[in-house]
Order: sequence, then structure tokens, then C-alpha cells
Amino acid sequence: MPTTAETKHSNGRNKGIFNNTTGFSTLITVTVLSLAWLAGFASRLFAVIRFESIIHEFDPWFNYRSTAYMVQHGFYNFLNWFDERAWYPLGRIVGGTVYPGLMITSGTIHWILHTLNIPIHIRDICVFLAPIFSGLTAIATYLLTSELWSRGAGLFAACFIAIVPGYSSRSVAGSYDNEGIAIFALQFTYYLWLKSIKSGSIFWSICTALSYFYMVSAWGGYVFIINLIPLHVFVLLIMGRFSQRLFVSYTVFYIIGLLLSMQIPFVGFQPIRTSEHMAASGVFALLMAVGALKYLHSLNPKGQWKQLLILGGLVAAGTVFLAVVLLTYMGVIAPWSGRFYSLWDTGYAKIHIPIIASVSEHQPTTWSSFFFDLHVLVCTFPVGLWYCIKNINDERVFVALYALSAVYFAGVMVRLMLTLTPVVCVLAGIAFSILLDLVLKEDEMQTAPVETEDSKNLYDKAGKLKKRTPEPVPAADSGLGMNVRSGTLIAFMILLMLFSVHCTWATSNAYSSPSIVLASYGNDGSRKILDDFREAYGWLSQNTAEDARIMSWWDYGYQIAGMGNRTTLVDNNTWNNSHIALVGKAMASNESAAYDIMTMLDVDYVLVIFGGAIGYSGDDINKFIWMVRIAEGEHPKEIHEADYFTERGEYRVDSEASKTMLNCLMYKLSYYRYDSGGSPAGYDRTRGALPGHRGFQLTYLEEAYTTEHWLVRIYRVKKPDEFNRPRLPLAKRTIPTSNNLSKKPAYDLGPMTSKRRKGLLKNKPTLVKGKKMTKLE
Amino acid sequence: MKYKTLLCITVILTYYNIDAQNRAKGLDEKVQQLTDMTAKHSIIPLNLNKFKDFVKSPPRDYSFIVMFTAMAPSRRCTICQHVYDEYVVVANSFRVSPSYSDKLFFGMVDFDEGSDIFQMLRLNTAPVIMHFPAKGKPKPADSMDFERAGIHAEAIIKWIQDRTDIQIRVFRPPNYSGAVAFAMLFILLAGFLYLRRNNLEFLYNKQMWAIIAVFFCFAMVSGQMWNQIRGPPFFHRTKNGPVYINGGSHGQFVLESYIVAILNGAVVVGMILMIEAAGGVKGTVVAALEGKRRRFQSVVGLVLVCVFFSLLLSVFRAKTQGYPYSFLFK
Repeated sequence: MPTTAETKHSNGRNKGIFNNTTGFSTLITVTVLSLAWLAGFASRLFAVIRFESIIHEFDPWFNYRSTAYMVQHGFYNFLNWFDERAWYPLGRIVGGTVYPGLMITSGTIHWILHTLNIPIHIRDICVFLAPIFSGLTAIATYLLTSELWSRGAGLFAACFIAIVPGYSSRSVAGSYDNEGIAIFALQFTYYLWLKSIKSGSIFWSICTALSYFYMVSAWGGYVFIINLIPLHVFVLLIMGRFSQRLFVSYTVFYIIGLLLSMQIPFVGFQPIRTSEHMAASGVFALLMAVGALKYLHSLNPKGQWKQLLILGGLVAAGTVFLAVVLLTYMGVIAPWSGRFYSLWDTGYAKIHIPIIASVSEHQPTTWSSFFFDLHVLVCTFPVGLWYCIKNINDERVFVALYALSAVYFAGVMVRLMLTLTPVVCVLAGIAFSILLDLVLKEDEMQTAPVETEDSKNLYDKAGKLKKRTPEPVPAADSGLGMNVRSGTLIAFMILLMLFSVHCTWATSNAYSSPSIVLASYGNDGSRKILDDFREAYGWLSQNTAEDARIMSWWDYGYQIAGMGNRTTLVDNNTWNNSHIALVGKAMASNESAAYDIMTMLDVDYVLVIFGGAIGYSGDDINKFIWMVRIAEGEHPKEIHEADYFTERGEYRVDSEASKTMLNCLMYKLSYYRYDSGGSPAGYDRTRGALPGHRGFQLTYLEEAYTTEHWLVRIYRVKKPDEFNRPRLPLAKRTIPTSNNLSKKPAYDLGPMTSKRRKGLLKNKPTLVKGKKMTKLE
Repeated sequence: MKYKTLLCITVILTYYNIDAQNRAKGLDEKVQQLTDMTAKHSIIPLNLNKFKDFVKSPPRDYSFIVMFTAMAPSRRCTICQHVYDEYVVVANSFRVSPSYSDKLFFGMVDFDEGSDIFQMLRLNTAPVIMHFPAKGKPKPADSMDFERAGIHAEAIIKWIQDRTDIQIRVFRPPNYSGAVAFAMLFILLAGFLYLRRNNLEFLYNKQMWAIIAVFFCFAMVSGQMWNQIRGPPFFHRTKNGPVYINGGSHGQFVLESYIVAILNGAVVVGMILMIEAAGGVKGTVVAALEGKRRRFQSVVGLVLVCVFFSLLLSVFRAKTQGYPYSFLFK
């Protein structure tokens, strides 16, 4: 919708009456931007309207929990927060292992609102933070594009980014995650960078550095900025576009940005110690060298300076490169971390880091995901790129590099579609703006200098003529003509309309599910809410001991901590692979082996997600193979992936499944006592199979709770005294009192026991002595 | 009598001793021979006799990994070459690894040299990598499953570790081919630039750079990276004829991605044509085309944009279940 509104305005703007009136164009700009903000905000509210104001998915729950902690205990306590509720028994130093920008942002908003006596719950701020920031992103994109091309293009880009699914996928209401604010910071930093490189003023460079600081505090993706800006500078140097403006803006930005980024506890000394940041320092050194050479050149402008300059530059570049390589080799600089390395060597993660490969958003991107997330922009942004390169200047070099690097990264990893989306919006905005500018411009503009006739007349005449017969045109007319113009206009209006409709559809259907509340639709269209997750977490928080430890797969760690308020073993912050592998091993082992691991880890409850009854495909059995793989990575002796497949290498759960599969803990916990589902009782609707091993008993665990649709199943781990004793019928159970002596021989085995008991009773002093001993120890 | 018994016992003992020595020597000799052979080639080529001596006959305290393959070009086993390359990497890594010992040897049987071995083991396919444990007969798990594990050296090493508890670190000889190709390209480029040093204008040709950039975008956006990583088939053959478009949104065929790239390209070309027809961007010289030609170009551009975009939309619609929108075509 805003796109159509926008084009109408730009139509109006070019009509001529507004042309010289800055007031009108400002008014239009402000109107369009606020409409874009409004549309962007509104299109992100599907989840809130359909369900409720709730935090989504997994990571947002942690962010929400730490924000709530910060609001409650203050900023410094948050920085020093040691969370003993996570990664039992290790714990987690939260303050030093998060990007605090998100929490600080919402904490600040909360503080301001409360200072103004507006009592709003921190949860609502968290839920609506990302949609509000989408408007800011639109404005930042507008500014960026206006720097690059024109204000009209900026308005287009702002409208695109406000609603494009590639961005709204990470910023719907309730998706309270770093990316929501980081894209704003990214765009704004780039805008300021272009501004500073254009003006060469220290003020704008410092603004860039400050915005970069905000980005560093918000998201790990800041590495993209600190590599892209040096790349830009480097390419400008190669192109021979060195200038004092470039020198000032980059050196100021680099130094201040470096110092500021090191203030974030989680980043610490990484900017000077890791390879990811070395490009920036290398370019800094190179720029210094080139600057020095240029200065020498200015002292004596005669002589063979050109060759010397090129040679000197090459030597400096080589030296810097060798120095970085050498330092890496010596171990002063850490080599590329696995996550970044896997962007270049695309097969790396699959072999070496299964935990990265296991996450679906780390997979490469198919063309249909590109199209789904960007729609018409995906086939129009190369046009913008084309014209940016054709009319190159310092800023457009930047946008070209941005586009090329982002499109590569997005191709490697679905998740990085997020960094591609803004630049695609910018370039597509430029493309649309060029075309519509030309099409909406009236013929008189071009023909006026050529024609001597009254242009107004010609316009009217041509329009009338063409309405009747488009082919025979007066030879004098060299313009496009009314028909072509209006045809183009209509076609592009349709494209833009399709785009906005697609965006709304995609946001509504694909990205607006909170994933902790599920909805299923009946044949008559009636909706049924499945609230099993919250039911289970609520049960945990009400019915288990305050310090109970819950074992589950890491996906659910944050939710258990956030909603159930219980201790977890592993969670979505996957920093400790061996701990995760231990949990995976427990899930993949048989019951008794798993019991050993569970006692080792002090587990009280086990939580599994089972979707067989309602056909929920994201359940633990489907994720199970990754548990096995991760466990195998750490414990290759005990766990073999092949054991969990059938002879023919299929992953099955029915009677043809392998023995190991049918006896592992995950299988048993999922299918224990399961009799719901389909026409044969116990039919698994997710896998479409009847489980192969049914009616078994659990020895070491007992079912504690199963939610309404069997989605979450909680088991209590028995204490050792609960399962190694024979079960007594109720009638024979007695409370051990003083007179049990007389009853004991009735069922006890022999005189030995009774003798011992007698002896114990007689030797009371020694017994006390023993107790004292242990107490002393 | 006493002496006789003593003698008898001595003789027996001596004999037994000699026998034991013989057998022990047999093992030592074998290990020695194998070590010598391994020193020459990290993979020992085996024929029937050697196979029987070293792999099959009992006095063994070492594990033997044997690859059965058919390397002769006439056999047309393309995968054999790949597996062989990886296998060589494994054997060489073992030779330089700290865990190198005489408890594990690598051998190879080529079908054309040892077809009787194939018959003896009832092997119908190649390549097969089998493990012959020091004790007992090979179990089903002692032949490696390429389908599941893949043919990478890492997978083979993992499997060996699984079977023999010997851990090998992969030491790939640094792949110089990439570096060499890169260096060659660089030298060629530098040489080219040097030769044309007086006429470097083409480097400032924005058109060329723009074309390169736009093509790179097409390649990425049409999912060539996905093809590179996942290696899908070119297209799918079914009973009802070839299928060019993968039905699910999570997969694609190579040909499909080319089609999409072409569709994207057509839209872009159409839009550029329209812009050029309408006068182009400020700064570029407005081509003094006459109105008719410009109109024609503009209409062609518009048709390209609309038709190819709607085609793209229909392809997308066919892949995405429940996608409601289409334009021009169903």
C-alpha cells in the first residue's frame, strides 16, 4: 500500500507546481516515511492479533529474560550477572556473553516511559520493539538511498524495506531479537559512513563510529561493517580515488570505532586479536602508507612520482598482508573462527561443526527463498546495480560492494538474507525511481528545446491523437507518447501491488507464528489453539522443586528458563559443544546408560517434544538424528550414527527400525504409553507410521506430565531407591515403626537380616559413632 | 630310561620351541615385509597370493584395510578414481601421523589383477573398502558404506577409527591445483595488463564491470551456491518425461536454476531497455532516437518485464504450496 501512495506522491511532485517548493517536498517525504513506518508496523502485528502479545520462538525468550533481569536489578548487576539457572552445573556469565544493545535499548525505553509516568510492562516493550525499529530502518534506508541517488529513490527504498518479507521475517512483533534493531544500526552506520566520506568531516566520522558502536553492542553481524567499510576504502584506493576526505573519514572512524567496540565486554580484545577484524587494521596501515606517499608527492610534484606511488602502494599492501599472515601464524592473531570460515569454505561446517550445520537457517539458499523473501525486488535490483556502476562515484562503489558481498553471503546461508535485504531495497528503489522518474516526466520536458511549437498544445494534441490510433504518430514527436507511458505506469503499479500483496501474505503466513502457541485449522475453517508448550512450562513452574534440573534438547533451554523458571542443562546459546553432546548421548543411549549420565548431571526431569499425535513436524524425533550426530562427534566409541538407521539406511520408527533406535531413551520417552493419534491407536501422524516398539515399561523414569495434545512430555527421573526394590502390593506396605520386627519375618528372607537388625539395635553407641565420623568428614 | 624320557622331552621341547619360533618368525617376517612395502607405497597392491598370505592367513596381529576397485579405464568406474584419491590421502596421513604403527596396513585389489579375490569374497561391486580385523572374520560393518558416510577421507578415517581404534589425523597434501590455477590466472592477468600497459582504458570500462556484477548477482540469486553445496541432479527423469522444476520449495535442479537466472535476466534487460528508451539517466548521453523506435524499444522492454516476471511468478507458484497470487499466467 505505501508503495502506491508513494508513487502517487512522486507523480505529484514532478508535476511542476511543487518542483521549486521545498516545503511541499518535505511534506511529501515526511508523509511517505510516516506512512511507511505505519505500514511496516501494522504488517508486523499479525501474530499479536491472531494470538496475543507474546514473545516468540527461542532466543527472544532469553533476551526477554535478561531484559527483565536488567530492568529489575539495574545495569551493573546485569553486566555481572552469573546465571546459575543455565548450563547446569557450569552456569553462564550472562553479562560477558551477550550483546547488550537490545536489552539496553528496551531498558532505556522502559525507563523513559516510566519517568513520564506511563506504566507499561517491559514485556510489551519487548514485543513491539522490532516493529517500531522497522520504521527507523525505513528512515535510515531513505537517508542512505538519498545519499546514493535521489530522494525519490530513497522513498521507494524506504517503502520497500518497511514491508519486505526478508526483513519482516526477523522483526515481527514478539520476535525480540538482536537482528530487529541491528538492521537499523547497520543501515544508519552505512548512511553516516557515506555522509562522512562525502564531506570528509570528522564530525560525521565520529557519528559513524558511534553508530558502529551501537551496532557492535547489538549484533555479532557488526563484523560485516568492519569488513565492508575497509573493503570500500581498499577498492577506492585501487581505483585511484584516494582523497583527503577518504583519509580523514576512515582513520577517524577506525580508531574511534575500534576503541568503542572494545568497550563491549563480549567483544573485548577481539578487534585486535582475531582475523575477522584484521582487514580493517590492514587497510588502516595501507591508507597511512598511501597518505604518506601522497604527502611526499605534494612536496615535490615533479619526477617519477606516479610509478613510485604505485610501487610504494603495492609494497605497503604486500607488507601489511605478510604481517597479518605472519602474526596469524605466530598465534598472536586468532585464525578465522569456524562460523566465519564456513562462509568461504562452504563444506567446512558440515564436516567439522555439526552444531552449526544442524541449524536450518545455516543452510544455503535456494532461488525460491530469494524470491519468497524479496519478490519483485530480486529481479529489479540488478538494474539499480547496473546504473550505479555505470554512473560510478565514491558512494556508489560502496553500494556495489555491499550488494555483491551481501548477495554472496545470502547465497551461502539463508540467515544472511537479512543483510542482503536492505541493499536490495536500496538498489531496487533506485531502479524503480529511475524508470518512473522518466516515465512520469512529460514529453514537453524533452521536446521543448527542440520544438518551437507551444509544448502545452503538443502535449494535448499528442494525447488525443494516440488515444484513437497509437501507430500513426506525428514525426515531430520524439517522446514516448501517452500510451506507452500509461501502459508502463499501469504495469508497474500492478507489479508494485503484487509486491505489497505478496509481502503481506508472506509475513502473515510464514513469519508470524509465535511457535510456542500453535494453531490448527479444521475442515470448516475453525481454528484451534494448541497451547501445549506453555501448559508444560507452567506445569514445571508450579509443580516442581525450585531448584529442579530439567534435561531437554538445547532448543528448549531458553523457553524452560524463561517460562518455567527452572534450571536447564543446555540451551540455545550453544557455546559448550561437549555438554550438548552429553545430553545428546543421554537421549541416544538406552535407558540404563542414559540413567548413568542423568545421575551424573543431577537431572530431575526430562522434557521431550513429541508431535506424533497432532502431526507437528518440528519435534524431537525428527531432530534426533542431529542429537546422534553431535553426540557421536564427542563420543565416537559409544554412539554410532549408523546404528540408528535401518539396514538400507532409512530413518524409521516403525517395526523395521533398528534395535538401537527402538531402545534409545528418546524413542521410549516419545512413545511411552502413547495411544492417541490415528485410526490404529498409537499411530504417529508426523512420521506416518505405527511405532515399532510399544507397550514397554520405563524402569528409571516415570511419566510426570503430558500435555493435552501430547506435544510436551515430562518425565521424572527416579531416585536410586525407587527402582531397585521390588514393588510391594499396597496391603503389604508398612510404615517402618518400632514394631516392624515382629512383622518382618513374614516376608523377609532369612534370619540374617533380623539378626543384624537386632545387633544394630543393641549396639546403638557404635551407630552414633559412625554418624559422627561422617559428620566430621 | 630316565635319560630317554629326558631326551624325549628335550626333543619335544626343542621341536616345540622351533615350531613356535617359526610361527613367530612368520608373523614378524610378514610384518617386516609389509612395513617394507608400506615404506615404498603407502598402499600395498595385492594379488591373490599376497592377499592370501597377508590378509587371509591366520598369524596376524594387525588390521588390514583393503580397497577393492576397478581402476582400468575400460571399466568406466568414475567413482573409483575419487575413492582412490581419498584413500591415498588416508593412507598417506596414516604414514605421517603420530599413531603410525605396524598394527594397520592399507592394501588395494584391482579387479583386473585379482578378479579371483573378488570371486572369493563374492563381491559384485566396486569400489568397496573392507576391514580385515586382526582376529576373527569381517562383520558386515567391516565394509564401509559409502552411501551413508560419503567418500571423503574424513569419513574413511572416522570409519577406520570406529573399526580399529586407531586415530588418524587427516593430512591432505595442500591442494596446489587451486593455488596454481589462481597463480596462473594472476600471472596471466598481470601479463595481460603489462602487455597492454599503454592502453588500460578497458579497465575503466564501466559497462564491463557492470555486466560482471550483474551476472554475479544472477548467479547468486538463482541459487548457484545451493547447487554448488548440495549438488542436485541436472534435471529429474521420470516415467512421464523429464521434470525440470523441483516440486518442493526446499530443492531445485541445476537446469531450473539456469531457467530462473534467464528469467531474472530477461526482466532486468527489459527494464534497462525501458529506461534507455525513456531517455536514460542524467549524465549519460540521451540517444537521439526517433520517437517510433523509442516507443518500440519501450514496449519491448515492458513486454519482457511483464511476461518474464509473470513466468517467474508462475514457476514460484508451482513450487510453493498454497501461494495465491499470479500475474498474466496461471
